[in-house]
Amino acid sequence: MARPLEIDNVVKNYGATQALAGVSLSLEPGEVFGLLGPNGAGKTSLISIIVTLEKLTAGRVKVFGHEVHSRQAKLNMGWVGQEVITTGFFSVEELMGFHSGYYGVKNPKARVEELLNDLGLWEHRHKKVKQLSGGMKRRLMIAKALVHEPKLLLLDEPTAGVDVELRTKLWDFVEKLRRQGISVLLTTHYLEEAERLCDRVAIIHKGLIRATGGTRGLIEQWSRKKISIKLKEKLEGLTHPDLVKGSVDGLEWSFLTKMSKPLGELLQELQIPQQALSDIKMEEGKLEDVFLSLTRGEA
Amino acid sequence: MDLTFTPFYALFRRELLRFMKVLVQTVVTPIVSSALYLMIFGVSLGRNIVLKDQLPYLAFLIPGLVMMSCLNNSFQNTTSSIINMKFTGDLEDLKVAPINTLQIILAMGLAALMRGLLVGGITFLVGEGAYLIMYGAPLAIANPLALLGFLFLGSLVFANFGISVGFWAKTFDQMSAVSGFVLLPLIYLGGVFFSVENLPPFWKSISLFNPLLYMINGVRYGILGHSDVEPLTALAVTTVAFFITLALALQALQKGSFQRW
Repeated sequence: MARPLEIDNVVKNYGATQALAGVSLSLEPGEVFGLLGPNGAGKTSLISIIVTLEKLTAGRVKVFGHEVHSRQAKLNMGWVGQEVITTGFFSVEELMGFHSGYYGVKNPKARVEELLNDLGLWEHRHKKVKQLSGGMKRRLMIAKALVHEPKLLLLDEPTAGVDVELRTKLWDFVEKLRRQGISVLLTTHYLEEAERLCDRVAIIHKGLIRATGGTRGLIEQWSRKKISIKLKEKLEGLTHPDLVKGSVDGLEWSFLTKMSKPLGELLQELQIPQQALSDIKMEEGKLEDVFLSLTRGEA
Repeated sequence: MDLTFTPFYALFRRELLRFMKVLVQTVVTPIVSSALYLMIFGVSLGRNIVLKDQLPYLAFLIPGLVMMSCLNNSFQNTTSSIINMKFTGDLEDLKVAPINTLQIILAMGLAALMRGLLVGGITFLVGEGAYLIMYGAPLAIANPLALLGFLFLGSLVFANFGISVGFWAKTFDQMSAVSGFVLLPLIYLGGVFFSVENLPPFWKSISLFNPLLYMINGVRYGILGHSDVEPLTALAVTTVAFFITLALALQALQKGSFQRW
């Protein structure tokens, strides 16, 4: 079976500016994939190319084995853009009806009702879009994108500017889509979102993918854990390559080690017996550390 | 699932609903301005003008105003809808969806035709009312088929042209420039208010290059049974204009940007 999305060496130039410098990645069926990167990294350019809003300069993109401009590819994907919808003329129900029609759905009523109920918009179906709150508009955009039951959903910063409660609801909704077997590509600034939702992430910076992998794997590969030990008795002249800080009284010492390094190994290297310890604190590495180590200083 | 009729019909319905929802702006206002033209030029200023075929000036003016309203409104419908969709982002939805360029042109063109026919038709009824009051009998339609044919074709020409301008325009100013500096002079110099027969030979020759002259006179032929140009010539020019503007609209959709402003 063809993969939901295959991006092969995509280059995008805007005049002399290169937004994408040869990006390759692919999505496995049913996975939630996060595209992380600072502003201007090329995330929206990449999504715009997938949904045919932008033309690529070089490379190839396929959706379930079909060229992105083909009807088969378009029928298989749903897109939620970054900018909030502002349509003034029409009601929620009318807009959903038009959108269904664009995708050839002949009798959309049941599907529209299901989606509007799922996203808490059913009671607002007669309201004009401009009467909806920002959060409702975001949910409407997701409902629109799903009306033709796509197998691949592209979410371009779906939770930007939404409150904590709605963000949690949208995360739950993405979890539900995952259970239904829908593959999702999402771009986000919220690393917590990526850690919670994504099976795999790619970190993009200056138009290039800097790292790809499972969130756990990336954290282990690119971040360090912080180990702080407190001793019962003062120790002087402690040296170790991972040592970052020692207190003046010689009782507290901090180390940044590889995620994979066990505490016992560090203590052994330091030649400190367990009985000499009064307290230990460990802070696991975060995706944020990975993100910063891959993008810092180059922005 | 049907990707032939359903996407076209969804967009057609959207476009139709759009102008119906702002009826005062899209239909009532153009009718008021047409009625004012009829009153000022046809009833008041033109009262004493009698044309060479013994027809009152009002009879000459009515077909011109009908076509002017029809063309103007068809153009306005497609341009304003596209510009509006550029602001709201709805145009991006069309690009992402599996609806093709021909379906978009057809849906937008037919909705524009509906608005053009509606405003043109009401302008005609207002004109007939004025004619009935002035001369005691309504103006008879000499050739209904020709009238409808020219209204349909002319309206679609302007709908297509509106699509091209809507896609091409990067700002409201550019759209207004086309409307004010290209369209308006062509319409006013296309024989809405006067016969090209009355122009000096040089200006008459220049006017013959104005495609609107043929469209307006086609409608005049449909209503009065005669006009300043041969009806077959008018039909040929209007048909050629239709295919040229269709090609322009297709190119605009294929090359133009669907992205939000």
